[in-house]
Amino acid sequence: MLTIERGFMTQDSTSSTASGSTTDIPTQVFEQFLQALHGAELRPEMIARLHKTLLQDKNFTEHALKDAVLSEEPLP
Amino acid sequence: VIRIEAITITQFRGIRDLTLKFDGNSFAICGPNGTGKSGVVDALEFVLTGNISRLTGEGRGDISLKQHGPHVDMRNNPDKARVAVAISIPSTKKKAVIYRTLKDPANSYLEPADPDVIDIVKQVAAHPEVVLSRRELIRYVLATPGKRAEEVRALLHLDQIEQVRAGLQKIANGCEKELKLLVPGTAQLRDNLLRAAQIPELTKEKLLAAANAQRALLGLPILSDMTESTSLKEGMSITAAASPQSVPKRQAIADIGAAKEILAEFVGAGNTTLVAQAISDLNSLSADPEIAVGVKNELFFKTGIELIQGEQCPFCDLPWDLSALKSHVQEKMERMREASQKRAAAEAKLAPIILTLRKMQAAINALANHAALMNPVVPMNKGHEFAEWCGSTLKRLAVLMPVDETVSILSKVLNVPGSVVEDIDRLKIAIDALPEPTKQDAARDWLTITQERLENWREARRKEVACNERTKRARQVSDIYSQTSDAALGAIYAAVEKDFSALYSFINRDDEDKFRAKLLPSMGKLGFDVDFYGRGFFPPGAYHSEGHQDGMGLCLYLALMRHVQGSGFTFAILDDVLMSVDIGHRREVCALLKSEFPNTQFVMTTHDPIWLRHMKTEGLIGPRSGVHFRNWSVDHGPTKWDDRDVWMEIEDYLNGNDVRAAAALLRHYLEYTAAELCHRLRAVVEYRADARYQLGELLPSAVSRLQGLYRKAKDAANSWNQKDIIDQLGTRHSEFSDRLKTSHAEEWQVNSAVHFNSWDNLGKEDFQAVVNAFRELLDGFGCSECDTYFRVLPDRETPEALRCDCGKANINLRKKETAQ
Repeated sequence: MLTIERGFMTQDSTSSTASGSTTDIPTQVFEQFLQALHGAELRPEMIARLHKTLLQDKNFTEHALKDAVLSEEPLP
Repeated sequence: VIRIEAITITQFRGIRDLTLKFDGNSFAICGPNGTGKSGVVDALEFVLTGNISRLTGEGRGDISLKQHGPHVDMRNNPDKARVAVAISIPSTKKKAVIYRTLKDPANSYLEPADPDVIDIVKQVAAHPEVVLSRRELIRYVLATPGKRAEEVRALLHLDQIEQVRAGLQKIANGCEKELKLLVPGTAQLRDNLLRAAQIPELTKEKLLAAANAQRALLGLPILSDMTESTSLKEGMSITAAASPQSVPKRQAIADIGAAKEILAEFVGAGNTTLVAQAISDLNSLSADPEIAVGVKNELFFKTGIELIQGEQCPFCDLPWDLSALKSHVQEKMERMREASQKRAAAEAKLAPIILTLRKMQAAINALANHAALMNPVVPMNKGHEFAEWCGSTLKRLAVLMPVDETVSILSKVLNVPGSVVEDIDRLKIAIDALPEPTKQDAARDWLTITQERLENWREARRKEVACNERTKRARQVSDIYSQTSDAALGAIYAAVEKDFSALYSFINRDDEDKFRAKLLPSMGKLGFDVDFYGRGFFPPGAYHSEGHQDGMGLCLYLALMRHVQGSGFTFAILDDVLMSVDIGHRREVCALLKSEFPNTQFVMTTHDPIWLRHMKTEGLIGPRSGVHFRNWSVDHGPTKWDDRDVWMEIEDYLNGNDVRAAAALLRHYLEYTAAELCHRLRAVVEYRADARYQLGELLPSAVSRLQGLYRKAKDAANSWNQKDIIDQLGTRHSEFSDRLKTSHAEEWQVNSAVHFNSWDNLGKEDFQAVVNAFRELLDGFGCSECDTYFRVLPDRETPEALRCDCGKANINLRKKETAQ
């Protein structure tokens, strides 16, 4: 019988867990995409916003993507 | 990422209390259907991921994890239902224990809770695909291309990629739609400007020349250039006109002329032909009921898919699987492509009519404004109504549905009421009657109105340019994303395809060593064709047998997992997979798992003891890395074929005076053990194709074989002149013969009086003696130190030794070779 004298809770969160996986295919694809955007000479501020949305915030909603692609505001 | 050392399952599914020790090795759980094997799989999945896919998968809407996860007698105490696993982490060489209860499935408890251990446990939780059941296996192989793409996407965690693709496409489409609406508006404002400026085309030079001509009449300086902020009336005083008029006569006359032109254009031959064609297209749409429904539903689904959000249906409040529902609706829309194409053709024909209606509405409204400023006011009620009708009609035509109503509107759309023309003519008469303005007043009017319309056009143009820039950017980003992700996914699929072909060829190398497969990604689908003996590529279900399809499912899964997890693919559960694979290929599967995935711990379930034996003989699992469940009860859960437990249980039955139950259990246990002994000792048994051997066919063979082996061992010792060993073997043999004599086991084949069927008629004390005798006999087949049965080595070819697992008993069977 396995017993635990002291328990430590770990909040399971599927949105954050994938980040540490051995081969995170979405992250690889997003990185290649951002690299291709640099090559296409698109606005650096927009690429930075997309980088933040896709790789840091991992927010893939249409709203977040729209903010990143169409926003005219420079990053703070 | 991890390996499982042990698991303890308490009050969970059909299990009361069960501990299994895996020691980080591959492990097999065998037992007839309904003995609790899947409970162990569920427990592993639950403790690692917080979910039991069997309970929460498709079509399980009325079953919940919290309510139905605990043992049925503990369904109101989910906190008592818990699973704990001891894990080791090969990359860090750390060990930890994870446990989870059904009261709080979303959270696991860790000891120790080191950050790197937490990280690893989270990684594992993000990979529920470590569990593969036969149900899922077939989903990869026999699914429709759309469904297969979904399954593979989920396994490869590609949903995020598709979500971003859909999002970027939607943004680009939205921008294009917005631009499409802005362009005609800007064009209309440009026409208004041209009319006010009375110039044929809008160029900087022409506008500047026209403005300077007017300015000269007012003595204003010439404008040398025109920029975005230039005002045509710059320097013009606000002094009152010589003959003040609220309506600029020349402008009003120009606007009336323009309105008449638009009206004439509207009812002209060009539009008559277009309207007739559009009506014909729409009639063909409504004539085919299926397409008519398709067009209608397409709009419904298109709107619906945008509104699908939240976790439950807004109508009935029942929870829904968001992604499943979306892909379901998407599939329906795919099927409506024909209707969609016809709809697009009709829309293209209606577009110029809608544009003219919009222009007409604006022109009449401009006239209505002039009429309202006249003194006295010129009534334009019919014109006003017509402008409103233009507005509502163009909206109606843009919607298109229902088709019948659109056709009805279109058939009357070119009938401009005569009263509208009368209103315009009346206004024209009133305007013509106005006194001619002085040249200076006309110039002032010209500059004021042209400047106003120039500003309107500039603002619209700015918006259009900005929208155009956004549209280009959004489309470029979306296209780059599609190209990049397609290339990345193409590379992934190519690698998986290659690996899959190699794995499948491995297990079928006897006749399909040149096997090839094609994974064909296209438009959100994933085709899967396989080579059939060089005759071409076909879907897996076309010609290959079920067993081959099972093998394909496993190989595709393994190839995908190897790609997803790479070196982190250290653990997988294969739940009752490969049941239809034939014996020859099962050996190959064992060899494949062992040689291609040496660092992966597989936990496998099967109801077939022969399959279990294959796993052992092929070295996929160790001699002790398996458990054999013999039965299950709701009160006690699964019962293992565990020596100690069985004898205790028989004892319990006898204490309860239940000889019948004790006899049945002894009989089953002896059958199970005798089969194992025959296998280990390589005993000769009359072959049965159905593998349903009876005790009378197995135990005497095992007995006879062990006695033969002892004789062979004595002969071998004699050849080596090992007197001590001969004596030891003699003692062993003699002791075994005594045990045999007490049990009467040898007599079974000839003496039906002692056949196990008559045990039921024995009294408690008499049967106790039988139990004791057989227990002694079975002990004679093994080592008292390690408590394992002897095994002949090697398991094929000439026997060389008789050994136990600990090596204390190691009896040589080979004679000394004599020189010729």
